[in-house]
Amino acid sequence: MVRSIFILILFFSSAFGNNVYTQNCISCHKDLSYSLQEIFMRYLSAYGGENNVKAGMLHYFIYPAKDISVMPKEFLEEEGIMNHGYIGEKNLQKSIDTYWELYKVKGRLK
Amino acid sequence: MLRNKVTNSLLANEKKSLHRFLVLYIIMMISIISLISIYYYQYQKQLMMLNQRVILSDYASEQARKIKSLHFLFPEQDTYPRDDRFRSGIYDLEYEKIFSLLKSSEIYFDRELYITKDKKIHFIKIFDDYYLGTKYLILEIDDDGMWIHDTWHDIIFYGGFGILIFSIIGFFLLNLFLSPMKTSLSILDRFIKDTTHELNTPLSAILTNIEMIDLSKISEDNRKKINRINIAAKTVSVLYNDLTYVTLENNIYSSSEKINLKNIIEERVEYFDILAKSKEIDFRLELNDSFLVVNKNKFTRVVDNLISNAIKYNRRKGSIGIRLLGNSLTVEDSGLGIESNKLDYIFDRYSRFSNSEGGFGIGLSIVKDIIDEYEMDIKVKSQINKGTSITIIW
Repeated sequence: MVRSIFILILFFSSAFGNNVYTQNCISCHKDLSYSLQEIFMRYLSAYGGENNVKAGMLHYFIYPAKDISVMPKEFLEEEGIMNHGYIGEKNLQKSIDTYWELYKVKGRLK
Repeated sequence: MLRNKVTNSLLANEKKSLHRFLVLYIIMMISIISLISIYYYQYQKQLMMLNQRVILSDYASEQARKIKSLHFLFPEQDTYPRDDRFRSGIYDLEYEKIFSLLKSSEIYFDRELYITKDKKIHFIKIFDDYYLGTKYLILEIDDDGMWIHDTWHDIIFYGGFGILIFSIIGFFLLNLFLSPMKTSLSILDRFIKDTTHELNTPLSAILTNIEMIDLSKISEDNRKKINRINIAAKTVSVLYNDLTYVTLENNIYSSSEKINLKNIIEERVEYFDILAKSKEIDFRLELNDSFLVVNKNKFTRVVDNLISNAIKYNRRKGSIGIRLLGNSLTVEDSGLGIESNKLDYIFDRYSRFSNSEGGFGIGLSIVKDIIDEYEMDIKVKSQINKGTSITIIW
């Protein structure tokens, strides 16, 4: 019984995280010249490990600025920096976790 | 049981010094060779690592380029680059494994090049840009151990050669070290030999003339004086015989014959009787017939020295027990006794354990010489102020 409740909570929280990511990230990024995969790889090459990447993303989302962006100058000039839409730090963290899980390299190399 | 077959002519203290020198020399020799070997081993290891560093550094640069290419092609291309010359793995800056083909999981991120316990050589290249999230690229090759084999071969060969050279030097040093001892012993032996030769004629004259004196025709006072002269002359005679044995007889061939030890002992007890009586010492004899094939003169030296010591180191009004039973002869006294820590040295030549009595300290050395020659065993038991018991077993 307890196990079933735990699985249900895990499922809903995961679904909720995905939902936040879909609503707040994909909707804006779908029209950009750099895909989310490409942006992720830029973050990865700049920050390295999981915690570092997530911390870097979180900081940028809270305090977006050109001089700390991982994107090239041309992209920033064309697209500007991201809108400072506040979705709350908790939601932001969930979106970043989902983003990491979707594009991470670990476990995907053969 | 004391049964050393070689009676060393060196004194105990000198032997001790010699042993200390030898131990010190051997320790020094082993230490020097070990230190050189360790240094050589470390040097060879560093040399091997230096060679591997050059090779692996090239491999790592090549692999890094491939990882960088894959970074930009991922995820369309997701096959990690392989190379037959090495195995590799990539780790992020949090030391999390991204992908690995390494056989050894023993990884030291703070070192550039090292050998694992399972004999793999690891080279670590640190990335400035984290392609595929990589901070650490680790290259692995097998350590074939050839350098260890070659190094050990060199250590054994050159170490053996070193030991040989050191041993030759040690041999010469030892001879230099022993030279003054041998010289002093040789001088002492020569002095004794010369003195002994000069003693023979006057001693024979004294003993012969004492035998010729008719004691019944002289006064009681003079008889006592003659007895004292007789005792003194016999004491000197025993010493003379010992010295003659040491300087001459033990170096010449001696013929053995079957003799009854009981007869020799009775004869020598009678000879020493006047000496024993001068200290009011009683003989307690328990003698069975016992035959042995030995040189008579040599066995007489054994008996003489045992009885002479038993009288010399006995107390006044003491006793001497002599037991000849089958295959053993025991002479025991009721005298001063010998300290247990000195028992090991009593057969060394020129060893004396009491200054109260005269002598050169050669009596028991002669006994041991003869006992060893006939492959007999000798046992010594002694208690301070109770006495000493010496048993010869054949």
